[in-house]
Amino acid sequence: MTFRRKLLAVFALTVFLSVGAVAWLVLALTRNAFERSEDQRTAALVTQFQQEFARRGEDVARRVETIAASDPVNRMAAALNGSPSDSAEYFELAKSMAESHQLDFLEFLDEHGAIISSAEWPTKFGYADNTFESLSASSGQNAFLRREELQDSTALGLFAVRSNATSEHPVYVVGGRRLDNNFLSALELPADMRVQLYQNSSQHFSPDALLDPSAPSSRARPAEKLVPLIDSVLRRNQETTEVINWSSDEADEEVFHAIPLRGSGKGSPLLAILLVGNSRRSYVELKRRIRASAFLAGAGGIILAILFSSWAAARVTRPMEQLARAAQDVTAGHWDTNVEVHGKDEVAQLAESFNRMTAELLAQKERLLQTERVAAWRELARRLAHELKNPLFPLQLTVENLLRAREQGPEQFDEVFRESSTTLLAEISNLKTIIGRFSDFSKMPPPQLQPVQGNEIVRGVVKLFQPQLQAPGHVPITCKLELDEKLGTIAADPDLLHRALSNLVLNAMDAMPDGGILTLRTRRDNGKVMIEVGDTGTGMTREECERIFTPYYTSKQHGTGLGLAIVQSVVSDHGGRISVQSEPGRGTTFIIQLPDNLETFQKTPEQQRAGHAG
Amino acid sequence: MRHIEWRRLVIRNLIVVIMVAAAQVASAETRPQYGGVLHIAMRAAPASLDPADGLLDNAAPDSFGRRSLAMLMFDTLVTTDENGRVQASLATTWRVLPGSQHWQIQIRRGVTFHDGTPLTAEAVAASLHAANPSWNVSADGDSVTIEWDNSSPDLLQELALPRNAIARRTSGSNPSGTGPFHIVDWQPGKKLALAANEDCWRGRPFLDPIEIEMGKTFHDQITELELGNADLVEVAPDQAHRAQQKGRSLASSMPVELLALFFSRDAASPEEKVLRQALALSVERRSIRRVLLQGVGQPAASILPDWMSGYAFVFSTDADLPRARQALAQVHRVPTWTLAYDATNPLARLLAERISLNAKDAGLALQPTASTTADLRLMQVPLVSPDPWIALGNVAALAGLPIGKSQGTVEDLYSSELALLATQRVIPLFHLPVSYSAATTVKNWTLRADGTWTVADAWLENAKQ
Repeated sequence: MTFRRKLLAVFALTVFLSVGAVAWLVLALTRNAFERSEDQRTAALVTQFQQEFARRGEDVARRVETIAASDPVNRMAAALNGSPSDSAEYFELAKSMAESHQLDFLEFLDEHGAIISSAEWPTKFGYADNTFESLSASSGQNAFLRREELQDSTALGLFAVRSNATSEHPVYVVGGRRLDNNFLSALELPADMRVQLYQNSSQHFSPDALLDPSAPSSRARPAEKLVPLIDSVLRRNQETTEVINWSSDEADEEVFHAIPLRGSGKGSPLLAILLVGNSRRSYVELKRRIRASAFLAGAGGIILAILFSSWAAARVTRPMEQLARAAQDVTAGHWDTNVEVHGKDEVAQLAESFNRMTAELLAQKERLLQTERVAAWRELARRLAHELKNPLFPLQLTVENLLRAREQGPEQFDEVFRESSTTLLAEISNLKTIIGRFSDFSKMPPPQLQPVQGNEIVRGVVKLFQPQLQAPGHVPITCKLELDEKLGTIAADPDLLHRALSNLVLNAMDAMPDGGILTLRTRRDNGKVMIEVGDTGTGMTREECERIFTPYYTSKQHGTGLGLAIVQSVVSDHGGRISVQSEPGRGTTFIIQLPDNLETFQKTPEQQRAGHAG
Repeated sequence: MRHIEWRRLVIRNLIVVIMVAAAQVASAETRPQYGGVLHIAMRAAPASLDPADGLLDNAAPDSFGRRSLAMLMFDTLVTTDENGRVQASLATTWRVLPGSQHWQIQIRRGVTFHDGTPLTAEAVAASLHAANPSWNVSADGDSVTIEWDNSSPDLLQELALPRNAIARRTSGSNPSGTGPFHIVDWQPGKKLALAANEDCWRGRPFLDPIEIEMGKTFHDQITELELGNADLVEVAPDQAHRAQQKGRSLASSMPVELLALFFSRDAASPEEKVLRQALALSVERRSIRRVLLQGVGQPAASILPDWMSGYAFVFSTDADLPRARQALAQVHRVPTWTLAYDATNPLARLLAERISLNAKDAGLALQPTASTTADLRLMQVPLVSPDPWIALGNVAALAGLPIGKSQGTVEDLYSSELALLATQRVIPLFHLPVSYSAATTVKNWTLRADGTWTVADAWLENAKQ
């Protein structure tokens, strides 16, 4: 990954994490705020319910008291006077009085609890109310919650009991109002809140027992979902809060606070459960809006971050990229590479340092070349001096012999003269040879490429040296040819290549004074032609290997140090390269790697010349 | 006991009641006046005016309202007077051959239907055959002959029933009768307007016209009476006492209606018979009568009332919860029965609820319902004739049961009723009278022995011509 991309990723990630952190923080704060608000609203609604409960209770008690003191009840009490057999004409009294006093429940009981008249269950006359004991104890007290048994169901209501004691035998008036949807509808509900009342009338949950003023509206939900909550309240007999999931949509969730409502009497039975529902829709929708905004801001931020970071990264990384390219140029040998310097920041200082470094490297290179050039001239001078000194000393001795011979007799002089002349000519010839070698090296011609068979050149060299390899008086050297017959044609100068291989064979022969194996091998490797010349001779050290191709360097006593330099020059002129693998005592192998240069044949002669000239 | 003895007993009882009623009704009689519109309201809402047409009707042909209505427009061959004696009507004389299988009835001459067609023996035979397809009726000159395979000594009582009134039936129009009023406007189930039949063989009636509102609840009828919109209305049994207390003119018949539980099918198992027996034992008839019926009617454990049979007191009407519970202890599973009642009758609902409560007390499960299909049904069945055999036969037919005999001694009658009760298809609860209240301006209207009324001889006080 490039530096620019890394920078861009860091920018984007930073923006994303920042937006995410802010969104999470806002969501957490929102949730807390909603929960606080929910608790407050629930508490307010419960208080309102209790107030409404108390208000209606007072209202019921007042109405029952009015009925108990009314003339019809007085007359009934006086007429019955403990004789229920005369109660037939009061059969409908409870119903009519309940209607006139707007009560849902009204019963007249005699002193034994037998029903004289009942509004809610008229045909129950004569039967005893099985809760009469607790009812009579509640006479004159505040209204209370009570479950009333009806013809085919039960109903929950707010009841009050009063007695009419105008006669010796009191008549009890039990009146009440149903705790129904009307009661619940009277509560002023805040938005997103609703209240339900579950009447605990049977052992098993029944949807019919759930009073829900919102039932006809769209907010009505399947009551069965409330079963776990109701069961929990019934089991634990205490307030419970649960989240009800009405559907897979989170916005349909509702937090329900379930509050048990108990009746009076023995054991304060749990008669009903008040369910206060808080819709989480607004919270969820707000949460969704926040989340959507966060995602939008995050996406926008990332896009902006990408744009900005692209610009910033480009601005920051451009000098770095220039430096990187400049460094690559320097690596490629362009030591005079410079980068532009903008500003005065760290990158600019780095660019200036880079420019100074390349300038210094260039200067050092020039100094190194100068030094090497001087060293080369010195080496050349030393070699020339060495080479020329050897023939000069015999020349000097010969000339001094001639001078001394002239002082002696003519016969002796002539004989010395003949001998000296022969020596002088030989030494002069030797000098000419030395000079010719140096001349040849300096005049190394450019290769004249033409299609040649690599293997044929190798075979030609072996054929040339075959007699010397097997010459009598010498330890024989075995020549081994490992030629790739599929080597094919290459573009090369056959004479120069022959000369280079001959030098390598000569070197190999010199390296095996005690005989050995000379191996010549050809092969193709990755489109290149490989020619290897190996021996099993004395081998070379690593230092010798590093210097072996330096001109005038030789490890031999009588070498000029130009043989391998010439080989390297020839290979280099062919666009190839030469390397050496050697180990002291185990032999040396020179490896020539040549391009096949076949595209050269497609070129016109002019192009070839132009190419070689270049 | 001979056949004639229990009949005398019935007649003696009837005389007492009718005389009381007649005395009440006629107490304010003054000189008759022609004209004046009589407004009548009734619960029945018949879809047809044909006296014999009950199969497609929503009101039974033998309901009191329906029978009263029929007798305004149609005449029977004979009638029964307040003493239960058969009187000539469209028939002048009759003759029965020994064995009571062959009856020859002489038809009154000079009578015409409302459409002007003369009454002939053929028309009478056609009418009787239409009402009773199984009868073998033939016309012979001015007489009609009715032949039976078996003895039929009660034929005249049968012929006196309104459903055997003589009507001339023509397709596409209302049946035409020979009664004191003819049809002017008929809105089936809602309203009927009648006008006086000027050519009535019994003489022109005083009233003209009569407007009858149908399908009115008891409560609506009383309201209409109080508002002066109705002159003659029916009174529910539980309202009779209250109406009397309020000083309204009230006429009640002898108990001529049976309130009973009718099972829709025979008991399927011995256990079900025990359940039915327990149900019969659980009903507190006395407290129901005292409170829900406000003292009206008689608790009943028999189909026929005591004034009709003379032996009804033999059947115990007391509730016996311990015995009912003891019986139920033998039952492995107590099913929930549905008890249907007439949803248009508030009293029926109360009665059904109380019966259910009593049954629950005994350990039974009864679910009152206004549905038409149920395991058992609370029904008010009119005893269509003072003749106990006809009345019993009619109840048996309603219960879907045959009755072995149609005549005999009181022992035979007792045995027949006992056999009918033994089927446990019927649990009798009460024998109820029917009550009517009329405006004080209605004079000389009559409550007949069978619980129907007639205004053929009635007139309106201060009637406008």
